[in-house]
Amino acid sequence: MTPEQRRRNRIAGTILFVVVVAIFAWVVFRGSGFLGGVAGLTGR
Amino acid sequence: MSSVTVDHVSPGHHGHGHDDHHHATPTGWRRWLFATNHKDIGTMYLIFSFVMLLEGGMLALLLRTELFEPGLQFFRPELFNQFTTMHGLIMVFGAIMPAFVGFANWMIPLQVGASDMAFARMNNFSFWLLPVGGILLTSSFFVPGGATAAGWTLYAPLSLQMGPGMDMAIFAMHILGASSIMGAINIIVTILNMRAPGMTLMKMPLFCWTWLITAFLLIAVLPVLAAAITMLLTDRHFGTGFFNAAVGGDPVLYQHVFWFFGHPEVYIMILPAFGIVSAIVPAFARKKLFGYASMVYATASIAILSFIVWAHHMFTTGMPVTAQLYFMYATMLISIPTGVKVFNWIATMWKGSMTFETPMLFAVGFIFVFTIGGFTGLILSVAPIDIQVHDTYYVVAHFHYVLVAGSLFALFAGTYYWLPKWTGYMYSEKLGKWHFWSSLISFNVTFFPMHFMGLAGMPRRYADYAAQFTTFHQVATIGAFWFGLSQLIFLVAILRCYAGKGERAPAKPWEGAEGLEWTVPSPAPFHTFETPPEVK
Repeated sequence: MTPEQRRRNRIAGTILFVVVVAIFAWVVFRGSGFLGGVAGLTGR
Repeated sequence: MSSVTVDHVSPGHHGHGHDDHHHATPTGWRRWLFATNHKDIGTMYLIFSFVMLLEGGMLALLLRTELFEPGLQFFRPELFNQFTTMHGLIMVFGAIMPAFVGFANWMIPLQVGASDMAFARMNNFSFWLLPVGGILLTSSFFVPGGATAAGWTLYAPLSLQMGPGMDMAIFAMHILGASSIMGAINIIVTILNMRAPGMTLMKMPLFCWTWLITAFLLIAVLPVLAAAITMLLTDRHFGTGFFNAAVGGDPVLYQHVFWFFGHPEVYIMILPAFGIVSAIVPAFARKKLFGYASMVYATASIAILSFIVWAHHMFTTGMPVTAQLYFMYATMLISIPTGVKVFNWIATMWKGSMTFETPMLFAVGFIFVFTIGGFTGLILSVAPIDIQVHDTYYVVAHFHYVLVAGSLFALFAGTYYWLPKWTGYMYSEKLGKWHFWSSLISFNVTFFPMHFMGLAGMPRRYADYAAQFTTFHQVATIGAFWFGLSQLIFLVAILRCYAGKGERAPAKPWEGAEGLEWTVPSPAPFHTFETPPEVK
């Protein structure tokens, strides 16, 4: 593995990790209401 | 796959290149505990998933034993429900998902011409989380109140009311989920950044494509599962009320969040299977895969559609007719890209010089039996029908046709196909064929009658049943034990290869096989592609 590959791997890995954390946080704080509320499914 | 011509490959080349890995093969327990080699980690994943398959299978046999006759014979209904729940959780999170990650670890670097996975140490960590999660899940049987009995979906409010076994299951799923997320990040980065020069995305083997798309699905939906079960946990212990109706929460909300994860999860367990079958069918038909590009686009379409159909699992919760219609038609749409795949496999076989070694038998068996599961899924997508057969054995039959005859048969096919590359020895074709026919017949003996039981109103997750279902339950139980015993043939076939019994495997044991993995010797050396091959 070249140093350049290592650098690109680290950047890509970090971006993906941030995406995972962001999705988790969004679902807990906003998304649960959104998913349930879409099309008025839960009566909320 | 487009034709791949390798310009320069150094099979088993052990030159120093620009890699700073260890160049000697480590030995003893350190080799496995501190493993960073993708092949070793892949092997550990496969062993772990097979152990979990046996555990989940034993639980299934306990269920079938109880169901052999109406009335309660061996287990209290509470324990029966613990068995159903743990069977589901162990098979999904312990057996099928890790098995595919094991295949990914072994094959993706070999197929894209990379020396290893992008994050070798994280790879080690993501594997070693698995036994922790598996032990936690299994040991929850022994705490007061026993294991969780809320079903693998862990629906509220039942999951809010259970004992510490539920907390252990939540923690185990967090751990197993974290492992899968790390695995997915590793796979995406390996495929996007570590491909050999000339290996463009549209030259990649379809197994890599299906895994790339699966890994993005994992990244997108596992955090949603993690969030759902975290909210369960805070509802249980920290006074929140997301799903607790007593404090203004909504149990149906849990179902929405869960199935937003749960439906893509189905595709997480089947897309890599499509990739394996797409490697095997052309190899044994001795033709190029028909419609490579359309296979890629169909895989991506299935993945995208999987995000917008979740509430078809919830037609009975009560929702506006417009929502029912939307989710019904959106679900039906998935049959289009899935049909593209099935037709492409058949077109690949059309006028091919076919032979039916064990991998091909399992691949053809997969296409036949998975398609039955697909059709029953299409029937279930029709809201008025689904409302009638919801939570009956019809649904149990449907998803076992998809996940056993689908995912598991593809895993068997892939194992026989790549076993010579992994072990350096050919498996016994006689044992393989016995394994296939015995599994195919016993699988259908077990699950085909369940369609009729479901249509007649037999509910799932019940320890007892009305006497009119007795004969069909007895047939299913006999089939289940037969299917379980058939897997011992598989175990013997594998162990013989690892023990060095059988013919020596050449670098490319299958005449029609294509791809970089067949350019390295069998068994694949500890280090491969340290100098990347040039692909034309």
